Amino acid sequence: MGEAAPLTPAPAVRVQGFGKRYRRQAAVAGVDLEVRRGEIYGLIGPDGAGKSSLMKAVAGVLAFEEGSIEMFGIRIDSEAAAERVKGRLGFMPQGLGLNLYPELSVEENIDFFARLRGVPAAEIAARKAKLLAMTRLDRFTGRPMKHLSGGMKQKLGLVCTLIHEPELIVLDEPTTGVDPVSRRDFWAILAELLREKGITALISTAYMDEAERFHRLSLMHGGRVLASGEPDAIRARTPGSVVELEAEPQVEALDRIQASLAQAESVGPRLRVFVDDAAPEAAVGTVAGLLKGLSLRDLHATTPDLEDAFVALLRRQRLVEERVVAKPRAGDGDPPGDDVAILAKDLTRDFDGFRAVDRASFTVHQGDIFGLVGANGAGKTTLIKMLTGILPPSDGEGRVAGADMHFAAQAIKARIGYTSQAFSLYQDLSVLENLRLYARIYGVARHAAGERIEQVAELTGLTGRERQLAGRLPLGIRQRLALACALVHRPRILFLDEPTSGVDPIGRRRFWDILVHLARVEQVAILITTHYMSEAEHCDRLALMHAGRIVADDPPAALKQALREEAGELLEVATDRPLAAMALLEQAGFAGVALFGRHIHLFARDAHTATREIQTILAGRGIGLASVTPRPPSLEDVFVYRITALEQGEQRL
Amino acid sequence: MNLARIAALAHKEWREIVRDRLFLALAFVVPAALMLVFGYGLSLDVEHIPFAVVDHDRSALSRDYTHRFIDSRYFDYRGHVKSERELDPLLADSRIRFAIVVPPKFEENLMAGRPAAVQSLIDGTFPFRASTSKGYVIAINAAFNGELLAAYISRRFGVAPERAAALAQPVRVQLRYLYNQELKSTWSIATALVMLVLMVAPPFLTALGVVREKESGSIYNIYASTVTRGEFLAGKLLPYVGISIVNSLILWALATGLFGVPFKGDPLFFFLSSVIYVTCTTGIGLLASLIVRTQVAAMMLTVVMTIIPSVLYSGLLVPIASMDPQGQFEAHLFPAMYFTDIALGSFLKGVGLEQLWGKALALAIYAAVLWLISFALFHKRPRT
Repeated sequence: MGEAAPLTPAPAVRVQGFGKRYRRQAAVAGVDLEVRRGEIYGLIGPDGAGKSSLMKAVAGVLAFEEGSIEMFGIRIDSEAAAERVKGRLGFMPQGLGLNLYPELSVEENIDFFARLRGVPAAEIAARKAKLLAMTRLDRFTGRPMKHLSGGMKQKLGLVCTLIHEPELIVLDEPTTGVDPVSRRDFWAILAELLREKGITALISTAYMDEAERFHRLSLMHGGRVLASGEPDAIRARTPGSVVELEAEPQVEALDRIQASLAQAESVGPRLRVFVDDAAPEAAVGTVAGLLKGLSLRDLHATTPDLEDAFVALLRRQRLVEERVVAKPRAGDGDPPGDDVAILAKDLTRDFDGFRAVDRASFTVHQGDIFGLVGANGAGKTTLIKMLTGILPPSDGEGRVAGADMHFAAQAIKARIGYTSQAFSLYQDLSVLENLRLYARIYGVARHAAGERIEQVAELTGLTGRERQLAGRLPLGIRQRLALACALVHRPRILFLDEPTSGVDPIGRRRFWDILVHLARVEQVAILITTHYMSEAEHCDRLALMHAGRIVADDPPAALKQALREEAGELLEVATDRPLAAMALLEQAGFAGVALFGRHIHLFARDAHTATREIQTILAGRGIGLASVTPRPPSLEDVFVYRITALEQGEQRL
Repeated sequence: MNLARIAALAHKEWREIVRDRLFLALAFVVPAALMLVFGYGLSLDVEHIPFAVVDHDRSALSRDYTHRFIDSRYFDYRGHVKSERELDPLLADSRIRFAIVVPPKFEENLMAGRPAAVQSLIDGTFPFRASTSKGYVIAINAAFNGELLAAYISRRFGVAPERAAALAQPVRVQLRYLYNQELKSTWSIATALVMLVLMVAPPFLTALGVVREKESGSIYNIYASTVTRGEFLAGKLLPYVGISIVNSLILWALATGLFGVPFKGDPLFFFLSSVIYVTCTTGIGLLASLIVRTQVAAMMLTVVMTIIPSVLYSGLLVPIASMDPQGQFEAHLFPAMYFTDIALGSFLKGVGLEQLWGKALALAIYAAVLWLISFALFHKRPRT
């Protein structure tokens, strides 16, 4: 990695053998990394990986015990030493806008940071104007921070961190809890700002798919660095290929694959298998061999993404806990009665002249996994509250588990299971005590409760952990406990509100294994919200919410197909000067131009014509073009395209 | 010290307080409300005790005896009832708190030189009230006995009634109350309340204000910037000290205006002492906020650190001088006692700097120590 040539200035950050413990518990141990000047360095890992401790230590706001941290060649080993570099540093702690002052306006927040950082009064106005214009917050300078949307809060946080023009910024999970459109916007603005001033950045994220935004990165898990380097180099650490296919019957196909290949999952109607050390053709052959006799469709190999690599790395380093086995049981579950689980018709909810949900209509069948995606404040939570009988609708009607939500809220509550994003269990009770409590709350007969608890514990892989305290469990397992509690009374419908937020990729896969089993085998209907677009692929149907309305409702494949028909082919443009190229391509009128790491994504009706056009435009300005490759659009592309189009439509009004 | 940064911090803090209605109410409404609630509710005077009479004798002498209670300003006469049994329901639902039962043959016995027992029933649910009531009953009874004795002496020895009265009570007590001539408990209580409210409100505000930043994470803006520890503490707390000074003026106005407490001392000295005192109590809030992480914990800790010692060891309920040596020692550890002395001295006694400088100095030392400890405890690079 950092082979420092003589005369090169000291790196922005050099971390050696870093370790941090809280009381006796080690949060991070043995971390080495080096951030070069001018680069965007990423720390990627799930909650509890130790990212925040490392970032706080680097920012000089957390004392640590082991190892050393140097910034610009200055060793940070005391409060006084940390003070010496703080003027050259900007730090944004974790939490959406939590370090801002909610009662103050956008402008007052910025002014406070500027004065706190001793920005000369003469310069404040000019810097503020520029940053506000770039983040498009200039129309909202007088608005109190508490009334900003999630994405706007994040951008304001960035402005406040940059107002004193630091040489290094440390951003702790700036995109967590922000919707994909705002996330993309945030990254574009950040890249531009950093490039312009030559600012170095150390940024953490829990989203694996943001890896392409970084020049280099470290993958973290359980307080250790699994791998460091450029995204491509990290992927190369785990050679292998990913095979995707559709198989019928899916449950049996997955069972057969998992018997010999450890890294396989079902993604909606598709299966996704990582084959170690195999070239694409060989991998396809291996999978086909395992599935002889089943009906297979659309079998092909693709390149592994960083999440695949992360899981493979964990697997190779034997950091994966034993597999959760969710085997179907004969005669388990009630016979599916009424096939329609949820029927919503023009559901509307008003709050004091503000319409939170506007005529939402959709149907969920038993055995379906129905995803609900949308920005913060799009109305997802209000919709779920109405469907679960917590909030009466202002207008429209709905039937949940056969009960009318206007009259039978109580009956609905008895027939559904609900898991909220916030951990709603009793931390000081053991796993078994939590399960027993929920069994009693839902009135499961005492003689049946013991057996049922055993069943759900086995299903969710909690067997053997019954005596552990809920509060001591790792996040991923705690979420499985929450799911188990919601399942104790055999609900026919499950409502899950961001159940996997912050959970590591393996934990998320485990969670989805269980959900798929519930839906496919036990015919439970599942309604789930998520911010992870990669997870949305698991859903049988996906509803996209915007400003209280459902603006799309289709299977993921159909959504992508519709995007292709509407916007054209997705092209990935690789150049040596992506930002300059991006501006040119936008001017040239290409649709959906967005930066993806060092690559540019855009839409074009005809790939060939567009490729030629791109070549001409970039050659005219002397920008080197490495390649233009057609890519299958992801659900994130769908989401961003749709929402951006809607927002632009609103602005025109 | 960079004054511009202190100003930036204080300015930001002030705007936050003003915009947050709940906080603003906490800052200005709650102290005045506490003063009003306690000032009217915590009157220690026992007057107008409702009572009833059972007179089994119905003689001239029994009427004379019971009229001494009926005519007293300490008792409110609610009527005669026929028997003791009728008293029970009246006492039970608190329509009366005291009853007097005159036995049959009261006059006959006394005239014959035999003693007579009068029963008095006192509601003992509030011991303080009950023991005060008992004192009144004993005093009225003693006066009646004295007159009976004087009348007997007058009749027996044929002296003038005045001379007989002097013979019956050879030692007489001459009482004059100083500083609070009418012995109005409101005066002392309103004065002590200024102390109590200024002990409770500023630490609450301060602790919530600082811990709020810890809880939300905005404290990291301070940690990560070049602002020094001293600048942060000064800028952050300036608005709270300012608010508390304004409150001390409001409380002073309430005490003198609404509760009619005279202010006889040196206004400048009292004002400066109040400034020192609120600086000190703000420091208590600061200390609490540095020890805990959540606003709830901050509130609990401030209650423990302020309300309990200032109620128990300030001289508000029990005079310091009548505490046991251990209690007196503890009282000297808390700032409340010193300011109680300053407030009582300034309001009621009319003394100033000359007599009270020691107390003011004690408060100043207390404030300095609190702020120094806080400064030492506050780190921009904490361990957790």
